[in-house]
Amino acid sequence: MISKVISGNEAVALGVKLSRVKVIAIYPITPQTYIIEELAAMRDKGELDAEVIRVESEHSAMAAVYGAASAGVRVYTATASQGLLYMHEMIWWVAGSRIPIVMTVGTRAVGAPWNIWNEHTDFMSERDSGWLMAFASTPQEALDLTIQAFKISEDERVFLPMMVGMDGFILSHTKTRVYIPSQEEVDSFLPSRKQPYVLDPEDPVDIGNMFQPIDYMKLRHSMHLAILNSKEVIREIGKEYEKKVVPVGSYSSLNESYKLDDAEYAIVSMGAWSLDAMQVVDELRNMGVKIGLYRIRYIRPWDEEDIKRKLGDKDGILVFDRSVSFGRGGHLYLELKATLPDVNIKGIVTGLGGVAIGKDVISSLTRKFIEGKTSDEWFYPSEVEKVELRNPRYIK
Amino acid sequence: MSLNYQFFPVSRPSEGGGGKTGNWRIVRPVVNLNKCIGCKACFLWCPENTIIPTDGKVSINYEYCKGCGVCSNVCPVKAISMVSEND
Ligand code: SF4
Ligand code: SF4
Repeated sequence: MISKVISGNEAVALGVKLSRVKVIAIYPITPQTYIIEELAAMRDKGELDAEVIRVESEHSAMAAVYGAASAGVRVYTATASQGLLYMHEMIWWVAGSRIPIVMTVGTRAVGAPWNIWNEHTDFMSERDSGWLMAFASTPQEALDLTIQAFKISEDERVFLPMMVGMDGFILSHTKTRVYIPSQEEVDSFLPSRKQPYVLDPEDPVDIGNMFQPIDYMKLRHSMHLAILNSKEVIREIGKEYEKKVVPVGSYSSLNESYKLDDAEYAIVSMGAWSLDAMQVVDELRNMGVKIGLYRIRYIRPWDEEDIKRKLGDKDGILVFDRSVSFGRGGHLYLELKATLPDVNIKGIVTGLGGVAIGKDVISSLTRKFIEGKTSDEWFYPSEVEKVELRNPRYIK
Repeated sequence: MSLNYQFFPVSRPSEGGGGKTGNWRIVRPVVNLNKCIGCKACFLWCPENTIIPTDGKVSINYEYCKGCGVCSNVCPVKAISMVSEND
């Protein structure tokens, strides 16, 4: 193991290389482009023994890795924003085919209008597709989760694809110290690929053909159960990773708790700003407020039991969402509310399209919440009362 | 953890689930056995699994062949021609 100052994108590319991926489909979209450029450069220098396929769209990128994975090799691709949306159809085909695949999503706002900055709505809009979905909060975690994702996705109790989210720019382009495991360490953790069936002319199978209603429903049920059972798999594999690969970081649970045991209040968040939230917890604790943080690392599977255990007794929970389901609220808020219907939970949608939300904003919103003064469910810092984008002109 | 819950969306290739072609096929593939080199490309590609490798060449199960022409298109030596059902 060595440590280096690198960006989230570089960390992910190294994780992919260490996982001995054999086929990579590449299509550039900000902010993940740098990952696939890195992989292409590694391939060019002979450091990476993989086929790199340049495709003409994200839909094709997913189709290409789907085909290669169906033939039995470990594959990888990355995307973001409109690219993820363009891939949407293939994302469902892969999950429904029960084919293990790993993909990174460098999260980014969705058009219209064009906006290249960070937001989680693209990622969150895939949560019903049957993929496992983890979200990193540091470049280190992005690397570690990528390597673990291959093993989780290929576990016989799971056999579903997995995507790892990472805040666009905030993590993808920010450099920080990352511990990079050695190839031997990763090899000792990650065995060669297993999958339930492969495309093989000697033993042909049909994939994706017509299914009668009962079989179709049985398949959907099996995917549901595989996601539920993946919780145990993730914990098991996380512990093994801690032991064999990285002595930093803790992966023995799906989500992370910080100072929650004796807390009366809790902040719930996901991704990079959770680290700011952690500092807010420390700050408020110094002021005598009993507060803790629950950081969501896995959206799917959703660790309902752990959330009930850790958050069920709190006086108040404030959920920070960087994504929105229009007319309903933030996705994490909705999931939390469904898990803990009787707890006092407020959700705040903020940070969309790259709106910078730092420690101070999180702190003031949290204090307002504790004082019982939170009324708005949306927050964006602005001097103007009303955001006037354009004056409408009617056609006569 | 028992793995009984696992279920996968694959099936073994077999003649079309929709049953026999009946009278709706309008063209059918005819193999020129003098040209056929026995590469089995048509067998691999036929979506209905109605091409049967026989004696190093191929024959066609017309009971289920839907006349899509995939075999004719993939044959590297153009040994399969699609002819009208009326001929
Ligand atoms: S025409 Fe279509 S169905 Fe008939 S044998 Fe050729 S590929 Fe198969
Ligand atoms: S593809 Fe053509 S040459 Fe090959 S086996 Fe079929 S008919 Fe024969």
